[in-house]
Amino acid sequence: MKKRLIYSSLVLGATLFAGCTKDFNKINTDPNQTSSALINPNYFMSQAQIQFANAGYRELLLQSCWIQGLASTEGYYTNGDKYVYGGSPQTYTNMIWNDDYGAGTLVYEMKNLVKGNAAFSNLDNCGTILLVAIQQQTTDAYGDSPYSQAYQAKSGVYTPAFDKTQAIYTNMLSQLATATAALDASKPGPTSDLFYNGNVAQWKKLGYSLMLRIAMRLTKADPATAQKYAEMAYTGGAMSSIADDAVVLSDNADNNSNNSANTFLNNVPDWQGVRWGKTLISYMQTNSDPRISAIAEIAIGNGLAANAAYVPGDNTASKQLGMPNGYDIGGAHDISTAPGYPGATPANPAVTGDGPAEQGLYSRPRFAVYLDRNRASFVATYGETELLFAEAATRGWATGVAATHFANALAADMQEVSQLNSTPQAVVDPTAIATYVAAHPLVPATALQQINMEYYVSHCTTFNFIEAWNNWRRSDFPVLTPVVYPGQFTDGSIPRRVTYPVSIPQTNPAGLAAAIADQGADNFMTRVWWDK
Amino acid sequence: MLLSLEQNLAMYHSPLISKNMKYFRHLRGVKNRYRLIKSILIMKLTIIFLAIFNLQALANVYSQQKVSINLKSADFKKVITAIQKQTNYHFVFSERKIPAKNVSINVQNENVTNVLDQLLANTDFTYTEMANNLIVITGKNEVVVNKVVTGKVVDDKGLPLPGVSIKIKGSSAGTVTDINGAFSINVADDAVLVVSFIGYDTQEIAVAGRSSINVTMRSASQNLNEVVVTALGIKKEERRLGYSATTVGGDDFNKVKETNVAASLEGRVSGLQISGTNGGPGSSVRLLLRGVTSQSGSGSPLFVINGVPMDNTQRGASGEWGGADYGDGIANLNPDDIESMTVLKGQSASALYGSRAANGVIMITTKSGKKNTNFGVEYSTNYQMDKVRNDLDYQNLYGQGQHGQKPTDIGSAMNDGSEAWGPRLDGSQVIQFDGKMYPYSAVPNNILSFYNTGHTFTNTVAFTGGGDKGAFRFSLSDLNNAGVVPNSGLDRKSFNLNTTQSVTSKLDVSLVANYIVDNEKNRTGLSDGPGNPNNVLFLSPNEDQKILAPGYGANGVETQFTDDNYVTNPYFAAYKFSSNTSRERLITSASAKYNFTPWLFAQLRLGYDVINDKRIDITPTGTGYNAQGNMSQSNGKITEQNTDILIGAKHDLVKNLLNLDLSVGGNIRKAGDEGTRIYGQNNFIIPYFYSLSNFSGRSADVPYFHSRQTNSAYYTADFAIKDFLVLSTTGRYDAYSTLPANNRGIFTPSVSGSFIFSDLYHINGLDFGKIRLSYAQTSGEPATPYSDAVYYSLANSINGTPAASFNSTLPNLFLKPYTLTEVEAGTEMKFWGNRFGFDLAYFARKTKNEITQASLDISSGYNSYYVASGSTQNRGIEVEVHGTPVKTSDFSWTPAFNFTYVKNKILKTDANDANIGLGTYRPFNANLAFVPGLPGPQVMASDYLRNAAGQIVFDAQGLPQGGPRKPMGSTVPKYYGGFNNDFSYKGFNLSFLIDYRYGNKILSATSYYSTLRGLNKITLPGRETGVVGQGVDATGAPNTINVDAQTYYQKLARQVSAFDVLDGSFIKLRQVSFGYTIPKTLLSATPFSSINVSLVGRNLWTIMKRSDNIDPESGFSPNVAYAGIEGTSIPAVRTYGFSVNFKFKN
Repeated sequence: MKKRLIYSSLVLGATLFAGCTKDFNKINTDPNQTSSALINPNYFMSQAQIQFANAGYRELLLQSCWIQGLASTEGYYTNGDKYVYGGSPQTYTNMIWNDDYGAGTLVYEMKNLVKGNAAFSNLDNCGTILLVAIQQQTTDAYGDSPYSQAYQAKSGVYTPAFDKTQAIYTNMLSQLATATAALDASKPGPTSDLFYNGNVAQWKKLGYSLMLRIAMRLTKADPATAQKYAEMAYTGGAMSSIADDAVVLSDNADNNSNNSANTFLNNVPDWQGVRWGKTLISYMQTNSDPRISAIAEIAIGNGLAANAAYVPGDNTASKQLGMPNGYDIGGAHDISTAPGYPGATPANPAVTGDGPAEQGLYSRPRFAVYLDRNRASFVATYGETELLFAEAATRGWATGVAATHFANALAADMQEVSQLNSTPQAVVDPTAIATYVAAHPLVPATALQQINMEYYVSHCTTFNFIEAWNNWRRSDFPVLTPVVYPGQFTDGSIPRRVTYPVSIPQTNPAGLAAAIADQGADNFMTRVWWDK
Repeated sequence: MLLSLEQNLAMYHSPLISKNMKYFRHLRGVKNRYRLIKSILIMKLTIIFLAIFNLQALANVYSQQKVSINLKSADFKKVITAIQKQTNYHFVFSERKIPAKNVSINVQNENVTNVLDQLLANTDFTYTEMANNLIVITGKNEVVVNKVVTGKVVDDKGLPLPGVSIKIKGSSAGTVTDINGAFSINVADDAVLVVSFIGYDTQEIAVAGRSSINVTMRSASQNLNEVVVTALGIKKEERRLGYSATTVGGDDFNKVKETNVAASLEGRVSGLQISGTNGGPGSSVRLLLRGVTSQSGSGSPLFVINGVPMDNTQRGASGEWGGADYGDGIANLNPDDIESMTVLKGQSASALYGSRAANGVIMITTKSGKKNTNFGVEYSTNYQMDKVRNDLDYQNLYGQGQHGQKPTDIGSAMNDGSEAWGPRLDGSQVIQFDGKMYPYSAVPNNILSFYNTGHTFTNTVAFTGGGDKGAFRFSLSDLNNAGVVPNSGLDRKSFNLNTTQSVTSKLDVSLVANYIVDNEKNRTGLSDGPGNPNNVLFLSPNEDQKILAPGYGANGVETQFTDDNYVTNPYFAAYKFSSNTSRERLITSASAKYNFTPWLFAQLRLGYDVINDKRIDITPTGTGYNAQGNMSQSNGKITEQNTDILIGAKHDLVKNLLNLDLSVGGNIRKAGDEGTRIYGQNNFIIPYFYSLSNFSGRSADVPYFHSRQTNSAYYTADFAIKDFLVLSTTGRYDAYSTLPANNRGIFTPSVSGSFIFSDLYHINGLDFGKIRLSYAQTSGEPATPYSDAVYYSLANSINGTPAASFNSTLPNLFLKPYTLTEVEAGTEMKFWGNRFGFDLAYFARKTKNEITQASLDISSGYNSYYVASGSTQNRGIEVEVHGTPVKTSDFSWTPAFNFTYVKNKILKTDANDANIGLGTYRPFNANLAFVPGLPGPQVMASDYLRNAAGQIVFDAQGLPQGGPRKPMGSTVPKYYGGFNNDFSYKGFNLSFLIDYRYGNKILSATSYYSTLRGLNKITLPGRETGVVGQGVDATGAPNTINVDAQTYYQKLARQVSAFDVLDGSFIKLRQVSFGYTIPKTLLSATPFSSINVSLVGRNLWTIMKRSDNIDPESGFSPNVAYAGIEGTSIPAVRTYGFSVNFKFKN
């Protein structure tokens, strides 16, 4: 009997053993993460801002060279420099997509968390503005893309439909109009804001500046809409000084260092092989652009060792020379065969194993400015806004006086290079700016060229190559001569689109099929809707 | 002295007997059967002669039975033991019939009878001396009948059996039967005789006053009382099991060693399919039992060591972005310590382990000491060499260059560093990246010269022993390995202790501890990532790998040979990059078992497996893509703790008819992993000084921490009618911490039955016949904890501004346990004294509500999500055939063949039945996926773009285009198995294993890169003339555009990934061992009791394969998601070596 008692209690014990699960909720709670109850939704904004702004290889490997702002003899830069596959092109073409949607999902979540909460209405609207800025970059690169159904996996939408570019543009503009108008400076602003540190008025200006940029993208495809929103932006109040620039400073100490600076500092061959493009530097030299000494330099010393060294070079304006695109080191397309080749810097006999540096006499981005791991990344600027208003006015739209806008833009753009660093490194002398502005008035006959060439220079010098490439496709400035090289992935023309991520056939085949049916083959030559 | 049976057997090999055997062998023309009987007769005769000879020798010492004993307050048994040791006397007594009081005795050289007189004076006991030096101790009033029992021993056919050992239980006294099978022995009339003979069951027969006893011996092969270790460590007779289980003995993985012991199971067990990773020593294996069970998880069976689950976490594998294989848990075990591995295939076998056993269970039993054995020492040494095998079959006609041009200077040599699109090799001098001139001709054996000959040297020494209360085994082992990749290797030390002790007659305790120190030097980079030395596999035919050495210049900076920074010089990758791991692991289990009655016990068991890992990765100063270098250090800890109780009862419900074997128990499993990672901020301050101190700042990831718990209760009940019909049921209730509170618990049952029809109906020639049938269900939980709730985490602040983020895997708030249901039917038969037998199984299994992590595009907001609607089906047949077609006294051939057919089908994925995306390779132009309606994982790849008429459509430039991705077949084989053969001739043993695999695809990055780089032979047509693709243009007109070969084939490689889908079928000679056991007679003058020497080899010959340029088993990841994807990994190796095992004399 006693034994039976023991056994049955043991059996009972075993059952209770399994039944006692009251600690399970605690065990299955991640101690390192928190819930919606505790998280501050503002924090997603700063993360999204730096993720979106800090482009690095996202722009260096493709657009920077397509637009001939940079040139490179390095292997994996062939995708940009020569439209020839090299390295892992499948990875490079994913970058805008993955980075942008990755940043966008943070903003979307933030907006969801504050939805309907009046106390967060400004955060919600600022989120809308940021999300539109992100979406525009994606749409401009790929064309049709998920938008109206994007970010909704949580609601069961796992394969969002690809919206047509035109529909995306229409919606972005109306979203901006609503959000910007709804911003209320009397209510609290975002508290974790890398652009404006919570200044709602500045967010409003950003909203209108973005509206203007989006509108002006439609000058070829839909001039009426372009005019409507450009004028709305002008009335609403866009950016009015470089203090309004949407700029994100990196933070090396907290592992948020600038990706382009990291790339050049880590990769000797990138640092040796990447130079300012000839198209950019020649134009700046022709115009005696005073920014040239702020942004460009020639490596000091002789040979590969000097060329690879992480030390400041010689930024004397007259010495600066851009490298032409489409060349290699060695072979039939050796850089030494380029017209006007300045010659190599000979090897330094004092350094063992040193060799001649073939690119040694071409200008590179200034070490002190661009290899700063705390460097700023640019999203939208006052200078850009003024240029777009200048063009709108030139087109006869009610956005003020074109010449004034242009003059403001020139001055702003020249000051903006100083924003690249927290302690200004690229400083253009104010007198030189004034002289340059005075010497380059807007001439109606050449206005579009002047405006868009300045757009090109300012976006290249602030390392915002993707926007420079977008504007080239829209405005056809600068006039570029495609590189000739065997085995190109285009028909010899400069890419006008980025191909979809190679994982899309796997993750969203229906969306992809619809996009191809709408805008054409998924290649680098198919033009997006606004690029007629 | 009488010879023990073992000693008799040792004589077996004496020259005398060998001569007899030779004599017998010359009897030609006599029927085999007769030869066999005759040979057995001769053997037996010999044994009898020897026995008689020994008895005579014994008589000579009869008069010298004197002892010297000095014992104080010893128990009586001790004294008896001392006498037995010093004399030839044997004692017979029963426990209760000896004096209970302790005695003290001090005698020198005294007659035994006098000693006994002295000892038993003033007690109630007396003794009787009988023939054969037998002394019987009894109560004073008992009469010992000094009876002579005679009898005859015959075999099951009634033929007399000579040489059968007849012993008196409780003593070592006894006799053997004579040539007529007759015996005669002096015994007490209540004695029990133990009758034994090799090849027959041992029988115990009570004399019970009889004076004549006839014995019929049953051949051991009819018995089949093999015991297997089943779930929870419960031992069951194999014959009674209602499901399929296969046991592989230690010899199969001890002699020929793999650095991951699980790899040794390949080809040996039906239903089990094993794929290694080409990641160097100690890398992971993928084990699939009965196919890809589900769409989630690793697919790996649960490993249970001595009844307690052990951790088998995969420590990190490479993917499309490169990385190394950091090994799995099972790789830590020392093969020398393993007694056997039992593979429990069916769900009813593993039902008692719940969720983790959905993929089956492999029960590992480590070696242990035996009670009542002398102290023994065993030493084994094994040395193996690995040589890389060249599976590459590249073109050797065209050299380095592009578009038909050779490199002309250093720059173009760098540009063309990984391009073999140059002109025809002409032997001219051509410049290389180093500025020197080299002949433009193919370098023979180029790639293989890069790899070293690997060495593995394993030494194990084991000590065993046991008294009547306990036993132990302790072993130390050292494995020292140098990998085929230069500057890599593995060093592993294992300590294994296994002890059992009877505390009282009812309480047994045991402790098993396995301590492992495992240090791996330079885990080799695999797949397509920087720092991978295997990029050497893609050199142009004329590019001599030697000129890449030493991989760095005088200043320590990487010598780059291409203009892609991220393609690391193989020598630099091997010698300067560093990825070292070290692991300390303790696997322990302690158990106490209390036997209330002979039929009832309770057992408490505690299993604890704790792993401490350290990993240091260094990107050295001077690296092409990271000139200033970096390093990181990770420390991690994995724990797995299982506490279980089990109460077992085995009792006849109806005497001699219905027996119940019942176990009820519960288990609490707590598992966790935690760790930290610290990495250098930016670059090393002082170049070449690799320490975390050498950074301006250090960053650390937030320490990670995962924990989970499962509480379970279970029972197993076996109802047996006599011994031929057994019905088993099990039930298990699990509560998982990883699931939401409302969906946390689940009960899963199983029923199985076995019917031994051969016990009921006698069929001529059939020794054993069984039919079995089972139905079982198991349940499962998500692979990771915390997947049922939305979490947000803080990110690094940006200039003081806080930032937050969240996981890119979408949680599922509605998760519930998934279930796997299986039906299995099988039969097992053995014929003609086990000369032939087979086991046949059919199974059908299906999952429901599977929890799968599926890929999403980031535009949906997440990169992946949990799908809880998956359903997978596997159906298959397993066949194991074994036999001994030839068996003579000194030669035998034992073949064993197994075959498995598994048909996998993905029944359901998510709600919309969309494909679930899995792994891919770097060109990303194909991927693996679970496709509803097809076996998984399918390769999704693009064929040529074709028009409605099926013609290939070329683009406006005359280049091929890829069509939509289509399923091209599963990467998991449909048919597989092995054919093992053991031959033994006298002391020699030869065994070889052939295994095969059919019906699977490979997604080959080697194929892609070799085409892209002009190395593949498919790039030869049109090299000099250009290529006009056979097909049409967009309008349907024939394509006439002639395209430069490089442009054409590179486009082909990028677009038409169907070329990279290869057939993975093969037949291989997997393992050969040739051993010799040195005859004991030759060892008499040595300290050894036995020496066995074997020559061994593994992976010696690919008899058949269908995959060009690669070994069909290549792969860089053990994950099911990457099954069948290969590329830029360590080439396959052939292994040769020898193994010697020494047993020391006691």
